[in-house]
Amino acid sequence: MSEKDPFGLDDLLDKTTPPPDAEFMGEAGLQVTGQARMEAAYGSGDGDEDGHAVVAKTGQVEAGTIFHQIYRPWRGKLNPRWVRNWSILRHHIYGLFSKGHRPWPPYTKLLIVIVLMGALMPIFTMFLGTLSGSPELMRIFGVTRANLWGHVLGSFNNICCWPLITALVVGGMISEDRQHGTSAIYFSRPVTRTDYTLMKYISASLILSMIIIVSYCAYYAAAILLNNEGWAYLLDTFPFFLGGLIAAVMLVMTYTSIGLALSSISKGKFFPAVSFMGIIFGSQIIAFLISLLFQRDVLYLLSPYDNLAHVGQWMMELNTTYDFPVAWSFIALLLMNGISLYILISRVNSLEVTRE
Amino acid sequence: MSIRRIEEGGNLTEEWIVETQDLVKKYGEHVALDGVTIAIPPGATGLLGPNGAGKSTLLKTVLGLISLTSGGGRVLGHDIATEGNLIRARIGYMPEYDCLMPDMEAIHQVRYAGELLGMHPAAALQRAHETMEYVGLRDQRYRTVGTFSTGMEQATKLACSLVHDPDLLICDEPTNGLDSTARGFMLDTLFQVVKQGGRSILMSSHLMDDVERICDRIVMIHKGQVIAQGRIEDLKGIDREIEISVWGGASRLEQKLKDDGHEVRRTGRVMRINRRDESTYTDILAAAATTEVQVRRMEDYEPSLEDLFIVIMARLGYEVKSSTDLLGTTPQMDIAAIEGRKVA
Repeated sequence: MSEKDPFGLDDLLDKTTPPPDAEFMGEAGLQVTGQARMEAAYGSGDGDEDGHAVVAKTGQVEAGTIFHQIYRPWRGKLNPRWVRNWSILRHHIYGLFSKGHRPWPPYTKLLIVIVLMGALMPIFTMFLGTLSGSPELMRIFGVTRANLWGHVLGSFNNICCWPLITALVVGGMISEDRQHGTSAIYFSRPVTRTDYTLMKYISASLILSMIIIVSYCAYYAAAILLNNEGWAYLLDTFPFFLGGLIAAVMLVMTYTSIGLALSSISKGKFFPAVSFMGIIFGSQIIAFLISLLFQRDVLYLLSPYDNLAHVGQWMMELNTTYDFPVAWSFIALLLMNGISLYILISRVNSLEVTRE
Repeated sequence: MSIRRIEEGGNLTEEWIVETQDLVKKYGEHVALDGVTIAIPPGATGLLGPNGAGKSTLLKTVLGLISLTSGGGRVLGHDIATEGNLIRARIGYMPEYDCLMPDMEAIHQVRYAGELLGMHPAAALQRAHETMEYVGLRDQRYRTVGTFSTGMEQATKLACSLVHDPDLLICDEPTNGLDSTARGFMLDTLFQVVKQGGRSILMSSHLMDDVERICDRIVMIHKGQVIAQGRIEDLKGIDREIEISVWGGASRLEQKLKDDGHEVRRTGRVMRINRRDESTYTDILAAAATTEVQVRRMEDYEPSLEDLFIVIMARLGYEVKSSTDLLGTTPQMDIAAIEGRKVA
């Protein structure tokens, strides 16, 4: 054996010329022998010279793999309706965290993380306040009616965070099924249109809830834990926490309804995303301008955000900033949700199996 | 009608897998299905018809997806009006158009298709590996669908429809957009599903050759009506012809045969005469002798499905030279021409 080949591998490896059409052989003229891999596996061993011969021989593939097409029956059992629905939910939710499920775009995932971090920022600030013993930080960022309302319905979150997230999450939820024809995959199986719509709705609202409602609850819980508050504090603050929670649920439902309705009438996610933000911001701006010019607040009834803000103010017993009854806002919200759901259901019914 | 699956062989043994009675489906004024009565036994059946004939509506009916105006039927023993979910659980549907998420890996696409049927996720993944291997995509199964060629996409769609080992596979134009190699592989695979797997196929296609290669039966619909159904061999027997090649005076012979009451189709020196009975042969020779025309070749002509299609359409009053005249485009035809004329 030479110095270059201490294990005598050169003699064992086949030196025949590879067929020119063999893909795995790589560039023409290069012979793939598996030598590097074998040396990596055995060259640094502790002297077991018997094992290498077998490996060297099995590494030689001359004629490719023979493809045997054999139909194998499946004898399993199909599970009931709730398992099918769970798979739709799983497909959308797990897609945020792992591969093999709905492929969410990276920027959507990134924005969700950024917004969630932003929503949890008051907790870090309260934590800093507790560490430093600064009452100012706790006074500014601690739990108050206004802060709880602001967490869900404040202008900053409702301009920079929630509508943006909703547009990205809900935008392609149904429109991409229409665009790619994947509705056929659902409806040619025992998935009803009701189940499909419901699971899409729940999936979208759960993702939004993970950001809006979970951060809201975490904020309230953190305030109690960090300040070492007792039952009296809990009794005092829980009613308006609950008011804020209901407002948050209403916000999630309203935004999901409008977003999914827009998604159901579109192909692709651009139009629903842009039009959702257009509805939220546009109605707000127009109502604001009319209010400035003509001192009439009634156009705020057309703005989903302002209706939610109004109802939220009422539920948390804050002074309202609108000069019409809260019942009007509540009815407007019901109408918006009702119309959105009607559009959603009718458009999902139009999704085709055979062709779009 | 009873439908059951034999545990040992996994094969269906009942009379009809699809059976409908006077199906009528109207969309406003438009009648998509007009009294469709079909009976399809286990095996491979081709669904033929021009664009707008009602094929898609019939497929949706078989899938139990649409409510009918009148009539009814059973698929795999389940009522199409009330048991759509049970039917779809036992059917694999391969759509003609795109139905895959381009950013998703093929293996997970197939697994998800299984999960939507109610398969356990682990079982669905295992079965997805099996079906991807079966359709020839074992080495490409972890690629995203968006990077696939048309043939690979079609194969993935087939894997999605086979994942739960359905009793009936419905394929809508399975060879659409495929090159000859991929087309051959797809047809071989479908053929194996029937012959080796013992499953049934209902295949809609514009390509007569494809249908003839896979199917032993056809259902032909036109303007929402069934114009032919049955075994291809039997239907071919409806119009058995004698083909002759002649030399000199072909027009004279053609005229003479027509005068004698024979149906003749002629292209140059080649004529096909509808065979009424054994005497047709002697009639032809007698006519040739009378008109002093040499008959250089005479044989029974074995018609293809294409010929069958042309004959059926001719009986309905349409002048078509090939199936592409009708199947490739939406035909402009006279509705009155088919009224009351059914070939079944």
